[in-house]
Amino acid sequence: MVASLSSAVPGPALLDRRLLVVTGKGGVGKSTISAALALLAAERGKRVLVCEVNAQERVAPLLGAPASGSEIREALPGLFTVNVLPRDAMREYGLMTLKFKTIYDAVFENRVVRYFLKAIPSLAELVMLGKVLYEVRVEERGRPRWDLVVLDAPATGHAVQLLRVPAAILDTVPPGPLRRDAEWMHALLVDPAVTALSIVTLPEEMPVNEAIELDAAVRGVLGMPRGALVVNAMPDDRFSGPERALLRELADAPPPLGPAAQAGRLQAVRAEQASRYLARARAALDLPTLLVPLLVRERWDRGAVEAVAAAIAEGA
Amino acid sequence: MGALVESLRGKRIAVCVGSGGVGKTTLAAAVALQRALAGGRVLVCTIDPARRLASSLGLETLGNIEAHVPAHKFHEAGLEPKGELFAMMLDVKRTWDDLVARHSPDRARQERIYKNRIYQQLSSALAGSQEYMAMEKLYELATERDYDLIVLDTPPTAHALDFLEAPDRILDFLGNDTARALLAPAVSAGKVGLRLFRLGGTYVAKTLARFTGVEVLADLAEFMGGFQGMYEGFKNRAAAVRALFAEPSVGFVLVSSASPRSVDEALYFHERLHAESMPIAGVVANRVTPALWPGGGALPQAGELAAALGQRGVAGPPLAARLARTLDEHEMLARIDAREVERLFEATPGPHVVLPRLETDVHDLAGLARLAAAL
Repeated sequence: MVASLSSAVPGPALLDRRLLVVTGKGGVGKSTISAALALLAAERGKRVLVCEVNAQERVAPLLGAPASGSEIREALPGLFTVNVLPRDAMREYGLMTLKFKTIYDAVFENRVVRYFLKAIPSLAELVMLGKVLYEVRVEERGRPRWDLVVLDAPATGHAVQLLRVPAAILDTVPPGPLRRDAEWMHALLVDPAVTALSIVTLPEEMPVNEAIELDAAVRGVLGMPRGALVVNAMPDDRFSGPERALLRELADAPPPLGPAAQAGRLQAVRAEQASRYLARARAALDLPTLLVPLLVRERWDRGAVEAVAAAIAEGA
Repeated sequence: MGALVESLRGKRIAVCVGSGGVGKTTLAAAVALQRALAGGRVLVCTIDPARRLASSLGLETLGNIEAHVPAHKFHEAGLEPKGELFAMMLDVKRTWDDLVARHSPDRARQERIYKNRIYQQLSSALAGSQEYMAMEKLYELATERDYDLIVLDTPPTAHALDFLEAPDRILDFLGNDTARALLAPAVSAGKVGLRLFRLGGTYVAKTLARFTGVEVLADLAEFMGGFQGMYEGFKNRAAAVRALFAEPSVGFVLVSSASPRSVDEALYFHERLHAESMPIAGVVANRVTPALWPGGGALPQAGELAAALGQRGVAGPPLAARLARTLDEHEMLARIDAREVERLFEATPGPHVVLPRLETDVHDLAGLARLAAAL
């Protein structure tokens, strides 16, 4: 398993982009998938940064490292994490625009101005996304600081809100500093050589519906290059048709057979439904699919993330 | 059983809260259906573009206007409602526009606000806007219509705080005294736009303009100008909305799945509701994996299952091995779920309801009715 980690090439080209945006419905396992993809890239010798945006931090703790907060920290060798927070991102952005800390402090640390900045719609989103995209763009000694930036984006609706801010500013804001920043940010987001947005889903009705709607938004309002559809927690087909019929008959039997048959029957029903929703997702979306098997684990820790990473590497 | 229904008996408003993907919308519909079957005139208001909710209620689509669930749909599902059920989906932009129309002194002002770029962003994209409008619409429905019960399905908030703080945050934006002070000269002169630059003679305003561009400030000034005089109306209404939520006729229903994450969020939300003295009517743990092995003793090994299968004339060590593994995994999931449900229930007031993971998703009124019966 571990050997295949470094040799397999997960999701052709997926890890070869410089910015990987991961989103999907709430609760489908975005952070786990983000952590697993980052782990794979790091195992292959890449320098990786995983960004969460104003989130209750999950990625670093999943990897067994302390939460990083808004300071970039190395969670594992070559794998860094950060939680981009509005206030700190605003400060960084302000400092970059104004150059001088004294001016920044005089103006931006002013309570009046702080309120005022909060009042400008989408400014918080712009500076947070700006921080992430700055990390994608910034170079050190003639090469990009990061080989790969993984953006563990918020859930569907909020992700679209966040990612469309540059385009919205280009639509509505006249020339000026905000617009100039929105321009380069937008250019990075829509560049297929740099960026790919992947959608995570579960093989269940609502998450699949939301994935289909999200993909329409990615192609439409966002106009971003698409990566893969990651179908998480896919139950395996372990019982044949005749076995399923038998399990239905045996479900009422006394223990030990009854409960075991009942568990088997439920697993079969879930697997059947899952493959139906997977088929529906595949029919509706012309995206490469990456299947991550349902892993039953007592705890979701680094071991679990490694298992997911191995499964991705194997399946790709 | 029946505990949640009992707890909601005297309520006129039920607000379902919880993180995304826990089955909140379906649960809200089931709560509404239960009361409608029992004889109430009930509305369920959802925020998500919940197409499945529409179709399971037998409606084509859901819009910003309440739709009546037709009687024949109930009959087809074998249900005899003593009351009536209505459903609607919140349209955030429309609700904003209605709110502006309600408070505008005249048509010209209304149009000016509609056209403002800041307003357009605010009404469609600003974080918290949806949450604010959900509360606003609820207030309108509660005060202007004669429903016995309104069930609100809240937006899947990334941060549970958003929902409670949204009105304050948006009002902060609309009525920001400090921002208004900064813009006041231009606003009161009625000369907004680029003339703002004149007031920008100050060091602070100049620097800000370097940061955001003059035009953004001008838009903002115009926007604030547009809202001048209307702010009090907004503020009073928001205060009324807030007061409404603290009334005893309102009950919050906390919905969670058994995943640690959604339990964390539910607990956090509970703390917030408690701190704000908002009444909790019940806590639902949804989609919980039920334990199948009686007594919780050691699980059967493959050999034992193979023997039992053999007694029934089924030859199948390979099947027995797979069954043993499947039961083992199932019980592990059930154990993990039980641990999380316990964590949820220990920290929250009752009534507590556990709903097992259903074998199929709820697709129609009959399915909703089965769920309603389990409440």
